[in-house]
Amino acid sequence: MVISKQTRSKIDAVIAKYPQARGALLPALHLVQDEYGHVSKECAVEIAEIFEIRPVEVMEVLTFYNLFFDSPQAKHHVYVCTNLPCSLRGARGLLRQLESQLGIKAPGETSDGRIFLGHEECLGACGYAPMMRVDGQYHEVLDIEKAKRILDSLGE
Amino acid sequence: MLETPYVTNYLTEHFGEEDYPTIEGYERVGGYRAARKALTEMSPDEVIELVKIAGLQGRGGAGFSTGMKWSFMPKDTDRPKYLVCNADESEPGSFKDRILLERGSHQMLEGILIAAWATGASTTFIYIRGEYAYPADQMERAIGEAYAKGYLGENVMGTGFRHDVRVTRGAGAYICGEETGLLESLEGKKGQPRKKPPFPAQYGAFGMPTTVNNVETFSHVPHIVEKGANWFRSFGTEKSPGTTVFGVSGHVVRPGLYELPLGTMLSEIVFEHAGGVPGGRKVKGVIPGGMSMSILPAGQLDVPMANEFLHERKTMLGTGGIIVMDETTCMVRVASVISYFFRDESCGQCTQCREGTGWINKIVDRIERGAGEEEDLEVLLDVAGKMEGQTICAFADAAAWPIQGLLRHFSDDFAEHVRQRKCPFAESFEL
Amino acid sequence: MPKITIDGTEIEASEGRTILQALDDAGLLMNGVDIPHYCWHPKLAVDGSCRLCQVEVEGIPKLQIACDTPVQDGMVVHTANDRVKAAREGVMELLLINHPLDCPICDQAGECKLQDYAYDYGVKASRSKEPRRALKKNVDLGPTIVFDQERCILCRRCVRFCREIPKTGELAVFNRGDYSVIETFPGTPLDNDYSMNVADICPVGALTTKDFRFKIRVWFLEEVAGICTGCSNGCNIHLGVANNKVYRYVPRRNDAVNDTWICDAGRMSYREIGAPDRLRECMVRDESGRLAPTGLDRAIEVAAGRLRRLIASKGAGVIAGLASAHATNEDLFTFRRFLSALGSETSGVAVVRGKADDLLIKEEKAPNGAGAREIGFGDARTVVDRISSGGIDALITLGHDALHESLLGSEKPLADLDTVIVLDTHASELQRVAHVIVPVRHAAEKLGTFVNVARRVQRVVPAVESAWETYADGEVLAKLGAALGLEGFDGSYDARQVARDLAAANPAFVGIDLDSVGDTGRLLAGSAASGAER
Ligand SMILES: Cc1cc2nc3c(=O)[nH]c(=O)nc-3n(C[C@H](O)[C@H](O)[C@H](O)COP(=O)(O)O)c2cc1C
Ligand code: SF4
Ligand code: SF4
Ligand code: SF4
Ligand code: FES
Ligand code: FES
Repeated sequence: MVISKQTRSKIDAVIAKYPQARGALLPALHLVQDEYGHVSKECAVEIAEIFEIRPVEVMEVLTFYNLFFDSPQAKHHVYVCTNLPCSLRGARGLLRQLESQLGIKAPGETSDGRIFLGHEECLGACGYAPMMRVDGQYHEVLDIEKAKRILDSLGE
Repeated sequence: MLETPYVTNYLTEHFGEEDYPTIEGYERVGGYRAARKALTEMSPDEVIELVKIAGLQGRGGAGFSTGMKWSFMPKDTDRPKYLVCNADESEPGSFKDRILLERGSHQMLEGILIAAWATGASTTFIYIRGEYAYPADQMERAIGEAYAKGYLGENVMGTGFRHDVRVTRGAGAYICGEETGLLESLEGKKGQPRKKPPFPAQYGAFGMPTTVNNVETFSHVPHIVEKGANWFRSFGTEKSPGTTVFGVSGHVVRPGLYELPLGTMLSEIVFEHAGGVPGGRKVKGVIPGGMSMSILPAGQLDVPMANEFLHERKTMLGTGGIIVMDETTCMVRVASVISYFFRDESCGQCTQCREGTGWINKIVDRIERGAGEEEDLEVLLDVAGKMEGQTICAFADAAAWPIQGLLRHFSDDFAEHVRQRKCPFAESFEL
Repeated sequence: MPKITIDGTEIEASEGRTILQALDDAGLLMNGVDIPHYCWHPKLAVDGSCRLCQVEVEGIPKLQIACDTPVQDGMVVHTANDRVKAAREGVMELLLINHPLDCPICDQAGECKLQDYAYDYGVKASRSKEPRRALKKNVDLGPTIVFDQERCILCRRCVRFCREIPKTGELAVFNRGDYSVIETFPGTPLDNDYSMNVADICPVGALTTKDFRFKIRVWFLEEVAGICTGCSNGCNIHLGVANNKVYRYVPRRNDAVNDTWICDAGRMSYREIGAPDRLRECMVRDESGRLAPTGLDRAIEVAAGRLRRLIASKGAGVIAGLASAHATNEDLFTFRRFLSALGSETSGVAVVRGKADDLLIKEEKAPNGAGAREIGFGDARTVVDRISSGGIDALITLGHDALHESLLGSEKPLADLDTVIVLDTHASELQRVAHVIVPVRHAAEKLGTFVNVARRVQRVVPAVESAWETYADGEVLAKLGAALGLEGFDGSYDARQVARDLAAANPAFVGIDLDSVGDTGRLLAGSAASGAER
């Protein structure tokens, strides 16, 4: 068993909330990813067992959605929205500056595996552009100084 | 905390009040009175009739009559019926549902409760896009409060009516905003839209009769029940009553949200409310209803924001997400960003959509690089034409329309790239 | 019954069928009415994703997909007007922009629906100047199948097949949009008893069988209708023949028997035909006790001599006959007549049993156990029992299935018999005890019929001629009967005539002859028509 007891019992609790167990698959993947940062092959097999489906069905779901990862990830995730409204307000310039600050090309991660920098599609913050999503949190109405401060404040 | 709308009306007037997202704050300004009225004084059919007469149209993009949609739900059936609240808001340029979830949580829940009563639904699934972590948490809090007060659960407000509400988080896929893609995702599958028929009212979530409505659509409902159809019709146009929460983004002085009656002039929203383009520059084009809709050139902004008028200009209200582009903007770059998005987000089932979105994106990028040929413009239009109206869901249309619009109004931008073999818009936003 | 009009022709359809199904039911699909289609397959769930089958239905503004549009009485459908053609060309062009078009080195060339439709539906050279999607080539999907991701058009037939037919579900589409690819779960190969069918249903050359890859271009193959002999289901097949050699079996559709599928074991059984252990010449045991090659006449002479001697000394009661469930009804009816005329009282049919499933694979691992029983052969156990109790001195055996552990277990119980006469396709331990061996034809080499598990009489025709001298079992028995001077045996054998004789003699076969069975077979008289065969 790879999935922890706590996560497993949370999954069972969600399953109880749906008319069909399968409805809890996305929530379960979220829960497992919250715990491990990604959904490993072993976890996928275990989730398949819980839901009484085939592992390949877990994988097809996993690979369909942007927010799920099937391989280990950097510690911190920084996504700059580059869709049209944000781009019109300098999102891509901001992304370039963050790339040079971190010395990497997006999408990509720093050599120490600490920070992943990427771009994302519209996040529903177009009126507060440019914006980025850092470890799940929105940061809006950015300028480069503000963005750098946010990156600097990220823990190890 | 999100900035409240610059202009408010009945939906958003209390959004600045700190305790409004709590059940106490909401009830202090009269919240849940409408639900109580519907559940105790009105029959389900009366509620449906009222919403029909009020003329409420869905605010998720398609603008379908909400009362009609509710009336499609089968009446004499033993099968459980469901409501789905579409909170997947992923249409670029749209950011209204987010604040309606964060601040108007109870307003929306009350709308859901009334809709549940009207349709006989036993459970509502609120499907929130995965990135909306805070709105999802806030909704969970609000739902908890409503259960604690007896406004949800076994015996809603002591009427014997039972209703449960669940929150499901998406996981990053625009197509899950399409209602049948959403249903698939809700069932724990890939968000690949279903063939229709059967429509959700017959075969929806978990195979049961289901109505899908947008966050904002639900939010209007308590106001209609409380103040009546005539009151609702005092806002907006004859065919498109009520207000909506417009999102304005891009090259304007005051980007943000504006709750205004449908039918408000686009030019008024852009120039008066949002303050026009900064730096004294001129507008080049405006997308009126989220990125799936066709662009309007500067000369066509004198149009009321309601479908009956926008249709004449070959565009639509969509989600009311208004994206403003100033005169420096390169429309080929705009096409590049748009086509990249649709390529990235196609679910990949239908040939035209899967292959067409990729091809369009590659052609546009080649034109932007200065490697385009004259005949490419024709191919673009042709491919977009082949994607339209031939696929399982309207995504392919949504991918085709903005490209058609850009070529309709800004073909010179494309031609100039071909002629100069480079992008002629040095000051345009970066790509 | 709803009537619909398609391109001016009225057809009757059954209630609840889609346009494509109605055409398929009427035998008109791609055979009078062309509606090209990729994702739709008559035996799989509707997918509706390729969008190639769009047609115009009068009264509906948008084009409709024929695979998912139910027929309605009075419906008027156009399948070839300009609008439909334009939509079709659009889909074809879009499918081709990312397709490698490496037809010269593609195994599917010749039976590729992309190639065919591109030709038939007039797709101009692609206007795409963009680089194609680069994906994996030569992906090893499992023991039987190789996958070329670049050629895949994502029709998802293979995915649905694995989920719906063997229900093993190994395949899935990963990712989305134009990044979509068919994959298996890491470490879980495509491996089931029916896996090779995915190569047949893949409309392009993305899925190919390892067995057939690069062997021969399909346009050199002649497709001969036949029956698989792997078990008593009698799946309908096409034998792919070139240069007098069978290169493959592929399923041949028969909705009453095998739909459009065959099992992998049955498919691979084509290799028996040219196997190195095929018997190639007649043999008789000489004075020194060794088997020596000889001609048929001599073999018959020796066999007849031995039998005559025994009959003279002990009577025909000491002669037993073992029939084979691999032999045709015509062979078996001749054998039956032979044994009766001879006065033999002991006979039975040997059938090897094995694993069965609820799809196609049946317990009896031979095609004609039912036919043998119908013709009067009982259980081979009676033969085995009489041999072990010492009541038998001579055995005439068709095939060697009796060696199976459930019957004789080995050739040893036959070691003391005075005479063992073997008619067989392949070598076996019987060689150790046989006095006369005559090589006979495989089902792919002769004309005749089998009766499958659901009492359907089905025909095999000679697809190849064996390169050496072989004979139908019936022919050998007819000659032997003549050599023994048996009543009704003049040494000639004609399967068509025997089939007619069988129909005259056995009421179950009434009305059935080698022509009337056709390519899809006929039920024996008194059989309830049902889907029980599946
Ligand atoms: C590609 C696509 C994306 C969509 N995205 C959303 C969305 O994010 N939110 C939404 O409410 N409706 C979205 N819709 C519309 C829904 O399919 C559906 O019409 C709507 O949720 C119905 O609610 P309403 O009648 O209240 O507007 C989308 C439609 C399409 C074709
Ligand atoms: S149109 Fe596009 S998004 Fe919609 S079902 Fe077809 S492929 Fe998927
Ligand atoms: S591999 Fe063949 S059958 Fe499977 S999806 Fe691709 S083209 Fe279709
Ligand atoms: S099921 Fe039996 S008859 Fe059919 S292909 Fe397999 S072995 Fe042959
Ligand atoms: S475009 Fe960036 S949040 Fe909408
Ligand atoms: S065959 Fe009808 S959509 Fe593919």
